Amino acid sequence: MAKKKENTVSYENARLADYTEDVTGERGPVDLPFALLSLLLLAVGVVMVLSASFARAYYDPTGSTGGNATYYFVRQALFALCGVGVMFACSRFPMGFYRQISGIVMMVSVALLALVLVPGIGEKVNNARRWINLKFTTFQPSEIAKIGVIMYFATLICRFKDKMRDPKYGIVPFAVILGGICALLYLEPHMSAIIIILVIGMVMLFLGGLPLYWFIGGGTAAAALLGIGYAVFPYVRNRFAAWLNPFADASDTGYQIVQSLYAIGSGGLLGKGLGGSMQKYLYLPEEHNDFIFSVYCEEMGYIGAILLLALFALLIIRGYWLSMHVRDRYSALVGAGITTHLAMQVILNVAVCTNSIPCTGISLPLFSYGGTALLLQMAELGIILSLSRDIPEKR
Amino acid sequence: MLFKKRRTGQSASPNRMMLRRTLFLMIVCGIVAFIALGARLFKLQIVDHEMYETAAVEQQLRQTTVTAKRGTIYDRNMNILAISASVSNIYISPAEIVMYGEDPAAIASGLAEILGLDYADVYEKTTHTNSWYVTIARKVEDDVADQVRQFKETGYLDEEGEQHSYNGVKIEEASKRYYPYSSLASHVIGFAGSDDHGLAGLEYYYDDVLSGTDGRIVRATTNLGTDMLFTDFEDYYDAVDGQSIVTTIDETVQRYLETRLAEAAEDYMLRDGAAGIVMDVETGAILGMASVGTFDLNNYMEIDPDTMAKIDEQSTGLTEEERDALIEESRSEMWRNKALTETYEPGSVFKIITLAAGLESGAITMDSTFYCGGSIEVLGRTDPLNCSNLGGHGDQTLTEAAMHSCNVAFVNIGLKIGAERFYDYIRAFGLFERTGVDLTGEAGSIWWDEDTFYDRSNLSQLAAASFGQTFTITPLQLITAVSAVANGGYLMKPYLVKEVLNADGTVASQTEPTVVRQVVSEDTSRKCCQILEQVVGNRNGTGVNAYVAGYRVCGKTGTSEDVTWEVAHGTKKYITSFLGFAPADDPKVAVLVLLKDPDPACGYGVAGGTMAAPTVGAILADVLPYLGVEPEYGEGEEAIVDQRVPKMVGKTVSEAKAAAEAAGFSVRSVVGDGDAVTAQLPAANAKVAAGSEVVLYCGAEPDSELVEVPNLRGVRYADARVVAGWDNLYVRGEGTMMESDNILIVSQSIDPGTMVEPGTIITVRMNDATKVGVF
Repeated sequence: MAKKKENTVSYENARLADYTEDVTGERGPVDLPFALLSLLLLAVGVVMVLSASFARAYYDPTGSTGGNATYYFVRQALFALCGVGVMFACSRFPMGFYRQISGIVMMVSVALLALVLVPGIGEKVNNARRWINLKFTTFQPSEIAKIGVIMYFATLICRFKDKMRDPKYGIVPFAVILGGICALLYLEPHMSAIIIILVIGMVMLFLGGLPLYWFIGGGTAAAALLGIGYAVFPYVRNRFAAWLNPFADASDTGYQIVQSLYAIGSGGLLGKGLGGSMQKYLYLPEEHNDFIFSVYCEEMGYIGAILLLALFALLIIRGYWLSMHVRDRYSALVGAGITTHLAMQVILNVAVCTNSIPCTGISLPLFSYGGTALLLQMAELGIILSLSRDIPEKR
Repeated sequence: MLFKKRRTGQSASPNRMMLRRTLFLMIVCGIVAFIALGARLFKLQIVDHEMYETAAVEQQLRQTTVTAKRGTIYDRNMNILAISASVSNIYISPAEIVMYGEDPAAIASGLAEILGLDYADVYEKTTHTNSWYVTIARKVEDDVADQVRQFKETGYLDEEGEQHSYNGVKIEEASKRYYPYSSLASHVIGFAGSDDHGLAGLEYYYDDVLSGTDGRIVRATTNLGTDMLFTDFEDYYDAVDGQSIVTTIDETVQRYLETRLAEAAEDYMLRDGAAGIVMDVETGAILGMASVGTFDLNNYMEIDPDTMAKIDEQSTGLTEEERDALIEESRSEMWRNKALTETYEPGSVFKIITLAAGLESGAITMDSTFYCGGSIEVLGRTDPLNCSNLGGHGDQTLTEAAMHSCNVAFVNIGLKIGAERFYDYIRAFGLFERTGVDLTGEAGSIWWDEDTFYDRSNLSQLAAASFGQTFTITPLQLITAVSAVANGGYLMKPYLVKEVLNADGTVASQTEPTVVRQVVSEDTSRKCCQILEQVVGNRNGTGVNAYVAGYRVCGKTGTSEDVTWEVAHGTKKYITSFLGFAPADDPKVAVLVLLKDPDPACGYGVAGGTMAAPTVGAILADVLPYLGVEPEYGEGEEAIVDQRVPKMVGKTVSEAKAAAEAAGFSVRSVVGDGDAVTAQLPAANAKVAAGSEVVLYCGAEPDSELVEVPNLRGVRYADARVVAGWDNLYVRGEGTMMESDNILIVSQSIDPGTMVEPGTIITVRMNDATKVGVF
């Protein structure tokens, strides 16, 4: 009890200067394999944005690029440069800093999720109000909410410690937060974000020591909910039908997935070479975004696809490895949470592109076009780099 | 210090459970999931690669066809019988109309007006907005296509007053087949369908040669239909234009043949059409081949109005399907090449083959004689075989037997040859198999099987076959076999295409005349010609109506019953036929004519000698001079041959008289008292009967009072000349121009009672009407 009080006091009394001092102070180096894997994937991702997007940018069917073939590429490259800066900046801040601001991040996330619902602030695209326009760029509050959940749940878990077994601590506060966030996301609506945030939240509780039977129960409940959703909402049924047989309605509901399969399938073993995709010539929608992996597969072939998946797998394994080797529990929770987030995005995106799961809009980290999302991903990677510096063996 | 404080503020280190759970996540999210995705990608990219690639390529590539020009069909003098000209197909791309924001109503009304289509129909087509290709009009002529092109280019003005062309309106090159001679040789040439592929005749048989190979342009395009950037994926496959064929058909000969057949069809009221073949005896080349009724190749689906009226009459009370079936039936009837695809009993014409076989085998000689008592008993027959002349022909030489077309004599010849040897000759003449002519649809002959035919206890088959009955062959087989008899014994393979030309006009291949085998000796051939010449050239011959003054025509008449028709309908239907060839000393050309089911009400006796023989004679009279065969008039022949009237105007009276007499005319009267001739009757260069009396005017005005045309029917030619001359009218003859009491005028070109100017020439047709009832 006393210890807890001491902790609280120490953070409350700490000034920012304490951390800035620490930034310049003696800490270990960042984990080189993780940093290099991140930068390599980022570089490949930016090149792929150029390859995937130039056709749409050039033909400009919606009149948004002015026929400038490098429109998307230049923007993505600038954000990538900023992102590298953000990543290393984030790696400088000690983990205690992140723990201290976690509550603020959580509140800001919730506030933004509420704000985005306000017409005039939130921008409506395709019947969904997910974007906030900051004039020079747009961003999705749901991206911040994901980090918020990871950081704040880790903080709570550290605070409750052994009381996590008690539902009053282990379930209720988390359920309330997740419920609130999901409700706000549902109003946007934004199904894929709900899924990711729920998964992240579950993983955090899983790591935090919530007894396994809760997950068995939760899994059963989720399946039941899915069953009900399937029975009640025709929209869900259509999604499933399009998933099971996309070719049945290849010109409408199955269009995206069929075009994606054409792209991946026509890549073959060796692919058509970088820049050689034909599906990107306006056949495949969202080719520089959610389906950039399909263009990559068409151009780089099966071998290239396996190499890319291997790089992502290595990054993810390295992320977990670092989380397992850091001495600090908060760092371990945040590290594993961020790594899981990264893994979920990669796996679900590739699964959608290959029609392994029903189609839903999930971007591929470090690849999909989108400035603020990229910056946030780089920040997350930076946080893992930061915790890597605290691993004693690495000294 | 603060540093230390923060250190104490650190949370506790992770416990074992957390490490275990992190490890679990690492395995699931870092390894298992990726292996699953790798496997899924293996299925998509390796296992199903081809399926997806095919589907992707199908949507990414747009193919434009470059139509190969179809080759031309020429007659043997390079007259064009069929040619392809470039036309345009007009289509729209509704998808692009939407994409470029063009006004479908404006496009529909513009196109409807230019192409003469219904606006609503065209507008409906613009609503298929998923489609890139909706045909509006096919095979549009160039001038109309130009109007469409102009409409497309002119386009429309947008709100800012900027001009845009219509991207949604498309014009595509195509080709259309033209047949300059419409119905001429329609059954031989055949026709090509809308897809430019031959459906009938030479167009069908030589389709591979004529069509060439279409070229293609394959382009990779974006989903907007525009070319892909940086992707030089464009394949061009050249179109190879079709080769042209030069046929053996002679446009002029074909025209003569068709004209005479059409005349015959009308004169003899043929109810089942007619067929005719003109063959080059020496090579087997087919110079002409025709069927009645015919059709216009440019509108090959169109049934002539008379037939259509008949169908309408029949179809009252019938369902739409039954009516369509009738139309279909009459179409296939008019498309049928009767000279090639139908078999018939050749009847007495076949006696030529029996004659040749008899002479060649030695069964008979030129000195053989035959007695005909009107009928003959044949082993295996219950009643005797009758001759056409039931009274009997009496004692005859071989030549007389042929002239009389005596069945009894020919049965005797057949029996002397014997069944086996007879069939050997049939085989040698190629009558058991198809000729192999380069045209589709050739029918096969039907004969008794060998066991029946060789039966020594029943000779009735052999007896009937000797005069052309109880078997059926095609007209083409018959004329091919008879050509062998005529040309020195060589059976030729008939053919229709003599040359194939490349698109640049060079010769790709040539057809050399093919000798199948020599069937009879030159000596036999010569003897047959000698005998057959008497059938036509002798006034007692059955074929006298095929006589052409100045030419030694050989031939044989035939009249046969349509056996299949009789079996099916119980009524009699006759085919009268004649096969003639000339000149007798060196035959060049053979003509076979079949006139099917003449109506006895036509006024002519139903027989080959009265109907088919004059037709063949008329065709030979046209064709022989055209082919450059010089007439040689025998003694006395000169006198009845029409002569050309010399130009006497401008000459003195005595000069004019001398000129008229030199040309075989005399001067009836000289009107007026001038020194020089100022006008003459008949006009110079007109051909009129030799011995006609001309009238000369010397200063006096010629009579302009109209005179009445006399009835010349039923009189002899010489008498007609005199009768006409009374009114200063003149005659010229056609048909059997031979001195014989039986040869009389059967028709005249101007009806009796018509008022005409003096000097008018009446063409009269001569015929030996007694050649009825002889086969």
